[in-house]
Formats: sequence, C-alpha cells, structure tokens
Amino acid sequence: MPRIILSGSVREHAGGLGAIEVGGATAAAAIEALQAAYPALRGWVVDERGALRRHVKLFLRGEAIALDAPVAPGDEVHVVAAISGG
Amino acid sequence: MTELLVGTKKGLMVLRGSAGRPLAIAGRAFAGEAVEFAMRDPRSGRYFAAVTHGQFGPHLFYADDPTKEWKQAEGPAFPPAANAAVERIWVVEPGIGDGILWCGVAPAALFRSTDGGKSWRLVEGLWNLPERATWEPGAGGLCLHSICPWPGEAKRLAVGISSAGVWLSEDAGESWRRSVGGLVPRYLPEEARKDTHAYCVHNMHRAPRQPRTLYMQFHGGVYRSDNGGDSWNDIGSDRGLPSDFGFPLVIDPHDPDRAYIIPLKADADRVTPDGCVRVYETGDRGNTWVARADGLPRSQAYLTVLRQAFCSDGGKPLGLYFGATSGEVFGSVDGGRTWSTVAARLPPVASVRCGVS
Repeated sequence: MPRIILSGSVREHAGGLGAIEVGGATAAAAIEALQAAYPALRGWVVDERGALRRHVKLFLRGEAIALDAPVAPGDEVHVVAAISGG
Repeated sequence: MTELLVGTKKGLMVLRGSAGRPLAIAGRAFAGEAVEFAMRDPRSGRYFAAVTHGQFGPHLFYADDPTKEWKQAEGPAFPPAANAAVERIWVVEPGIGDGILWCGVAPAALFRSTDGGKSWRLVEGLWNLPERATWEPGAGGLCLHSICPWPGEAKRLAVGISSAGVWLSEDAGESWRRSVGGLVPRYLPEEARKDTHAYCVHNMHRAPRQPRTLYMQFHGGVYRSDNGGDSWNDIGSDRGLPSDFGFPLVIDPHDPDRAYIIPLKADADRVTPDGCVRVYETGDRGNTWVARADGLPRSQAYLTVLRQAFCSDGGKPLGLYFGATSGEVFGSVDGGRTWSTVAARLPPVASVRCGVS
C-alpha cells in the first residue's frame, strides 16, 4: 500500500499521525482513501471538487506529481504545503 | 464580564474583562491562521469560527468554550454537482427555529444548518438561480456576507451579496427575487446603471424590533428600507456624513431608528477620513447623522475597519465595539457617546463580535 506523509499542522486532522498507509492506485485515490479514514481531513488537501489546494503540492520520489499520477505499494507520497504566507 | 471574539489575520483572540475597561486576551485559537469571522449563537451558547488556512483552505469550527477545544463542522462545502469550492466563509447567522443557522460564503452561496451548526447544506434555490451567471465579484470576491432572518417568520430571509445586490426569499430559500430598487450604483457610468447586475452591497442588517426596517452600507451610499427590503431610500447624501463609503454597520437592537456606521474616505482610499476616527450615529432613521468620537483617535489616525469588524453587545445601554486592521479594538459602553481602547497591538482585525456581556 502507498503511504501518505503529512507534515506540519495538517497532521492534527489525522490523529497526529505523520505517515499513513492507504489504498489507491493513483494519488487522487490515495488522498480519497486518506479522507475516508480521517474525515476531519476532508477538504484540507483537496477541496470539495477533488482539486488539489492551490498552495499544496504532492511529491513522489522527489518529484512533484499530479493527482492522476499512479502510485504503487511502498510509494511514499508527501503532502507539502507551499512556503507562502504573510 | 464582557467577552469579545476578535478574528484576526493570526488567529482568534478571545478578549475578556470588565465592560468599559481594557480587556485581556483570555485565549488564542487557530494561531497563525486567518480567522475571518467568529461569533456566539446566543440561543445555544455555541461559538463558531471561520478559519482560512493559508495552504489548506477555509473551514468552519465550533466550540462550547472558545478558549478550549474546537471541533470542525461538516461543511460548508459544495456538493459535487455544484462544481465549486468554498473560498472563504464570510458570516454565520442564527436563524429562526431550533438549531437553524445560516452561513454565507464566497463564491456567493448560502448554506443552512438544522443541527445547531454541526453540519451544513447548500441552499440550492439561490445557487441555481439563472441570474447567478451574471454575478460579478467586488474587490473582496463574489461573497455573500449579510444574512438577515425575519424574527418570528422563519421562512423570510434577505441576503446581501457583493456585488450582486439584495435577494429576498419568503420560502426559506427555495425561491428568490432580487430587490435593488432605489440603490444607485454610482461607480458605473450613468448610462450603464439601468441594466446592470452589479450592485455592490457592503453590509446589511435588519432591525429586530421592527423587521420591515433594514439598513445598508452600499459601495458609495447608505440606505434604509421601510418595507422589508423591497425598496431602498438614500440616507447617506447631505446628512452630515464625511463620506458615504464604508463597510461596518450596526443597528441598535432596541431601537429601529438608531444605527451606527464607520465611514471610510472613499473606495480608492479606504481609511478613516481626515485622519480622524469617528463612528456616526443616527437616531432618526438616517435623516441626520452625528459623529461620535469622544475617546477615539482624533488626528493622524488612518484606520481601516473591515466589514465584519463592528458589533454591539445588544445591551441597554448599548455596548459597541470595533477593530481595525492596525490591531486596535475600541469600545463604548454608553451607546457610542464615549469610547476607549479595549485592546491594542493585535494582528490585523477582520471581525469583532460580542460573545457574552
């Protein structure tokens, strides 16, 4: 199963966990599985349309990936918040 | 004890203390995140906070004690068929009836809760209006920021949208009609006004003791309706105001003839006019306005007071509070006659509401 790696404050909505194994053959499916397991995360990484939040990126093996990118068992998908703010 | 909920760019500040004296920060929630609106439902005692995380978007939270644990509400979020995402939560308003609350968001939409604010559903009657295709955003986005239930009549509702005007429903949101008669969009060329949809309502409130009376701060213009929002009368021109542009608006809940606004100089210069902070009060339905500035900064003070950053405590005499983007919060315990600074050096203030008083 792929693993979602969460960092920063968004972990609060996943029971404080930083690494969570989920199902899914694409990044989008993995995020959906993550939200199903942790409903408090719904709407944080992707909005209600399923679109990635504008200031959030997904990384797999050091490269930014889109939501439709395939993921495989053992893959680690990092959810990274942009360095932005004011 | 007076409690203020101050939504700031860097979290919710819960201020508590004795009325008329400086208030202390009793709690800070959502540190580092923008709290754009916070309020307490006086019926249930439940608190709400609209929080926009810089990276992870807008979310609504609720709590029984604002200094303790907050829970995330289910929504407001658009259903898949709407093909939209909430960009910002502008206002939460108690409705008429047990557990009923309304929530206004950007892009302009109305949500309804029937369980005291724990979960929210889109009011599809407003979202599915064919006219919505013509709605255009103001500088703050296409937002539904004002919700005016009708005390005693659960199905009657008015909402204000920037910049799509006033919309009225008499069937709890199933159907809607626009009501902009009397409003003059001076920001458009005269020849373009007749057919425009761009009515930039900045704030709107209903007088609870006389629900047919509403007051509105418009994008250039102050108005009053005497017929439940069906039409609007100019109460801003040549009546003692330094400007009829602004955002904040409060009605005295005990007196439908009394309202307060905080004018800003102009749309191109959104600061207190003449470097002087003044609240303007009418006690005669807007026929005349009087400056209330005793205790407020009188010179070299160019403050910006945002739409949701002015409130009353509903008391008698009326307590009034407003906050500025420069981090001050001012209060009056005598209906605006005298003012004092109740908090300073806060992050930019987006919202001020009284919790308990």
